Amino acid sequence: MSSVVGSTMWRHPLARLLGVGAAALLVSAVVARLTARTDARAATFWLFGLAFGFVLQRSRFCFASAFRDLFLFGHGRIMRGILGGLAVATAGFAVLMQRMVPNPSLGVIAPEAHVAPLGAHLILGGLLFGVGMVIAGGCVSGSLYRIGEGYVASGVALLGIVAGLALGAHTWNFWWRSSIRGGLVLWLPQVGGYGMALVVTFLLLLGAYLLVVWWEVRQGFRAPEPVPGPPGHTFGERIRGALRAVLVHGWPASAGGVALGTLNVFLYTAHMPWGVTGEISRWAVGLLTLVGWGPGLLQGAGELSGCALVGRGGPLLTHTLTLTLGMVAGAFVGAQVAGEFRLRRPRERRRYLQALAGGVLMGYGATLAMGCTLGAFFSAIPSLGANGWVFAAALAAGAWLGVQVLRRIP
Amino acid sequence: MKLDVRGEICPYPMMKTVEVLQGLPEDDILEVLTDHPPALESIPFYVTRLGYRCTIEESAAGEWRIRIERAGLGG
Repeated sequence: MSSVVGSTMWRHPLARLLGVGAAALLVSAVVARLTARTDARAATFWLFGLAFGFVLQRSRFCFASAFRDLFLFGHGRIMRGILGGLAVATAGFAVLMQRMVPNPSLGVIAPEAHVAPLGAHLILGGLLFGVGMVIAGGCVSGSLYRIGEGYVASGVALLGIVAGLALGAHTWNFWWRSSIRGGLVLWLPQVGGYGMALVVTFLLLLGAYLLVVWWEVRQGFRAPEPVPGPPGHTFGERIRGALRAVLVHGWPASAGGVALGTLNVFLYTAHMPWGVTGEISRWAVGLLTLVGWGPGLLQGAGELSGCALVGRGGPLLTHTLTLTLGMVAGAFVGAQVAGEFRLRRPRERRRYLQALAGGVLMGYGATLAMGCTLGAFFSAIPSLGANGWVFAAALAAGAWLGVQVLRRIP
Repeated sequence: MKLDVRGEICPYPMMKTVEVLQGLPEDDILEVLTDHPPALESIPFYVTRLGYRCTIEESAAGEWRIRIERAGLGG
């Protein structure tokens, strides 16, 4: 069954881009009209969502596989791309944060920076999330963009994530009282200024890169044969080749990482760093409240930045909603343009169970860590918070555990 | 030999390919049929290490055939 829009006119990727892209922009105009009074950012954030989803789909970027493949296949192809993206975002975030808070030693943390309390909750959250993303075959952002590509199991994983966040909301006050409230909030610029925080972060990123390369070599790294470039020397042939490289073939992971890091800096200039679990928790808490099983007051959650649980109501159509849905739509555009969209249903029933269970673990883990691989990692390290590094280490350990489980599920 | 991993979630297309490859006779060629785009990057990356090379062709919309064969001796 071909899912690419029928007639021959739509065979060309560029024609598909113009067609599907125009539809996505039309939605943006509708959103702008609907939210003009309630949330002026909603239409812009739909566009950001489209861009994030498109890049994720085109570069086949997956945070879960970045961690998992280090242990499962002994390579860090995507992890090296993530480190590149983190380096770009770190430089960009530092400039933005320095403008907002010129003197960090006074005790104020840059607004919206993803800096969260350290503690046992963060380590447990990272472990649970790491196991969950490996078992489910994708993290939260991975599940969102794969829904846009037509993966049915990713939809099931998202249901699991919502359930895990709902479960997390019901136990939130316990974790708040016992670990989160008393946790040390360590924002590196407060310790030794932005210069020191940048040096430390770049050194850690360099250290992580060297560790990944060392690990790959130790595992027997061999570079694959280079794929021959597109044929042709004329202007037309070269432009066609470039279009295919961008619209049809998968991008190198490093290009994806750097593009996502750059987009993250732009998103921060528009309001906040990239994150989705705060928004999905709003759906979870909203659904619970709707059926009369609401978690009540979530102590302290409102004071936390990043992707902590969102309990309060407010309008349905917000910029965080359009950002999240835009990611699904952007991936759909990318998959349609490349001619890759199709409904993918696993033949084995246990894959749905895996996706659901992994999703629940991710949702609960993201509650404790106040974010997923985006909010608590990809946006936290550039925010110069120590929490990003602690979460990353716990994620890696969780991914290792997840690989042990995965190897036992045929 | 042929392996159909269509519909499978990540990372099973890669895992199953590696599993079958390890039991593949010396002179046989493995043809993997997949609809999982990330496999197009990760399978070549991984099988190179095992001493194989592969070619990829699109067999339908969103579906690819990956031919994996032993890399030439001394190559």
